[in-house]
Amino acid sequence: MPYVPILMPQLGESIAEATVVRLLVAPGDKVENHQEVLEVETNKATMTVVSPCAGRLAKWEVEVNESYPVGAVLGHIEAEQPVSAPSAPAPSAAPAETQAPALAAPSSVSPLPPTIPPQKVEPRVKGLPVPADRVGATYMSPRLKARIQELGLQAADLAGIAGSGAGGRVTIEDFERYIAHLEQQKLTPASPMRVAVADAMRRSWTRPLATVGLPVILDPLLEHRKQFNPKPGPTLYALRALALALAENSAPAGRLVGARIVHPPAVDIGFAVEAEEGVLVPVIRSADKKSLAELAPEYDRLLRQARARNLPANATGGSICTVTNYGTFGLIWATPIPLPEQTLVLGLGAGRKVPRWDDAKGQFVPVMEAYLTLSFDHRVLDGGAAGRLLTRIAALMNQPQSL
Amino acid sequence: MSITYLEAIRAAQAKALADDPRVFIYGQDVGAFGGAFKATKNLQQEFPGRVLDAPISEDAIVGSAVGAAIEGMRPIIEMQFADFSTVAFNQIVNQAATLFWRTGAPCPIVVRLPSGGTMGSGPFHSQSMEALYAHYPGLIVMTPATVEDAYSMLLEAVAIDDPVIFCEHKFLYYHLKAERLPETALPVGRARITRPGRDLSLVTYSAMVHEALAAAEELAAEGAEIEVVDLRSVKPLDTDTVMASVARTGRLLAVGEAWPWGGVTAEVVARVAAEGFNLLDAPPQRLNAKDTPIPFHPNLWAAHRPTARSIADAARKLLRL
Repeated sequence: MPYVPILMPQLGESIAEATVVRLLVAPGDKVENHQEVLEVETNKATMTVVSPCAGRLAKWEVEVNESYPVGAVLGHIEAEQPVSAPSAPAPSAAPAETQAPALAAPSSVSPLPPTIPPQKVEPRVKGLPVPADRVGATYMSPRLKARIQELGLQAADLAGIAGSGAGGRVTIEDFERYIAHLEQQKLTPASPMRVAVADAMRRSWTRPLATVGLPVILDPLLEHRKQFNPKPGPTLYALRALALALAENSAPAGRLVGARIVHPPAVDIGFAVEAEEGVLVPVIRSADKKSLAELAPEYDRLLRQARARNLPANATGGSICTVTNYGTFGLIWATPIPLPEQTLVLGLGAGRKVPRWDDAKGQFVPVMEAYLTLSFDHRVLDGGAAGRLLTRIAALMNQPQSL
Repeated sequence: MSITYLEAIRAAQAKALADDPRVFIYGQDVGAFGGAFKATKNLQQEFPGRVLDAPISEDAIVGSAVGAAIEGMRPIIEMQFADFSTVAFNQIVNQAATLFWRTGAPCPIVVRLPSGGTMGSGPFHSQSMEALYAHYPGLIVMTPATVEDAYSMLLEAVAIDDPVIFCEHKFLYYHLKAERLPETALPVGRARITRPGRDLSLVTYSAMVHEALAAAEELAAEGAEIEVVDLRSVKPLDTDTVMASVARTGRLLAVGEAWPWGGVTAEVVARVAAEGFNLLDAPPQRLNAKDTPIPFHPNLWAAHRPTARSIADAARKLLRL
């Protein structure tokens, strides 16, 4: 009987590898076609790999806790039936991927109009120029780049090194000294989740980000939520208000690519969920087209799945902006960073009882107030547009019956 | 007892004549006169009929040697100065270099080129021709920098079936000395790490090896460890040793006494840039003679060729990049 390889499937957009967490069957075990045989963890979620055919597991080719690239042979099934050609395991995520907005796909972006040619850096010394990179990072020699790549580091990791070369550049000797110094300290591996968050934040930080904020009164919303079961939380109210505001005008959620704005194709909104050692962002699709009553159970389900690190592949990615409730940490104000592929992130602070002047009564009255913040890519919109969007969101939250 | 670079060349020719009856020496005044630099002194008396004076026609000399090689002989040709080999250029690059590739018959000739500058020699008696001949497939180009290499490489040149251009440096003839002649040698085509170091690779050959060593000594006092690589033969060029050295140091300075345009230093830099780009921590550099004919005046000549001082300056600049 032929041996059919179990391949690491494409588990989602921009996922190149996954770590084997658990082997669900042992060599010699009988397996059905599409039976779950292996559990793997990516930087987004834990998923299972299924058997490509029915038969017996002949051999595992992997070790638990090791990472393997997409397409790697994980093991072999001794097939029951002769198979003409082992079909590549169809990733369950595939339909979701095609559904996902093609925002990030380079092919969907038509050639950009010609821009101003980059300024030429004139060498100062004949044949020996070491121009400072205009992006900000200093010049890196080919050897330094190769060494950084070899060690799996990023340019940002060089921030702590004082360069001794021309123009303050970090020479290979500076770098090796720094690495040797690091090795003498306590080092523990960062989790895949931590590394993924670090990568996203590093990429996002290449843009000029700004934050605006204003207070919102929560009392109407807290009264309104009582009629539902499950009860929607303030985060969901904020998410729904953001969805409606963007449905009225989606321009603030657009992305700037070259000299053009890419408009969001649908109001799919993510919300940040703290998971062990990182953050997951499940997505509510077309949040502008569903009522609060419809959204509440969906929100609760995604929250549970995210906390269990069990999100389906189609429940992440492709959102146009994100809501984060940093109030759960007791914070009243923060400046969150939007995801690299997003322009906006809406933040919600902790609610507090505060005195508010009531003109009609002529006295201070206690209200529940929280700060709403909007962090944005300043290349796409300015303080005015951000302020108008945030004011509109606050107004919608003050009229919860409209949500 | 000590032996000079020139005496080692004479000794190697004597040994080649003694060991192999097919070997003979042919050149202008190589017989009774003993050669322009006395590299064949007394060889005619020691080996009667095998050290032959030639007419003043380099073209005819090499042409005759190619014919003798076809007949099974192994001639050693002496050019009085490397500069004059251009008169025999057609015979060397069109006849000798291609013979085996055209006919399958080997062309085991050695053309000795007294090369490089000495004080006051001027444009016609100072040239370094190695890049010119290295350009042609079919030729081996040796550039010994030591007494031992001059001896062992000349013997190997005679033994090799390919035509060999043997670039012996006139500046080293008299003052470079060794205690004794070697009994073993590195194979041809293998470079030597003459001085190990970890900060910069100084890749050079022939007389410039000694200028490079002096520069390395000067820089050692400043705390820089310079690795000096002696290519020994520029064709074949030992890319592996050069690349391994650059892998250790991350910095390359190629030095040659010849002109810069399309020369050996350019080839070294090109190979390291193409195959070892990721080894470089600074732009690869080279230092050559000035791109003008070689001046007569001793002061101009000293400024024209790379020296220990100019090599040290270039290395210092590269170390600070």
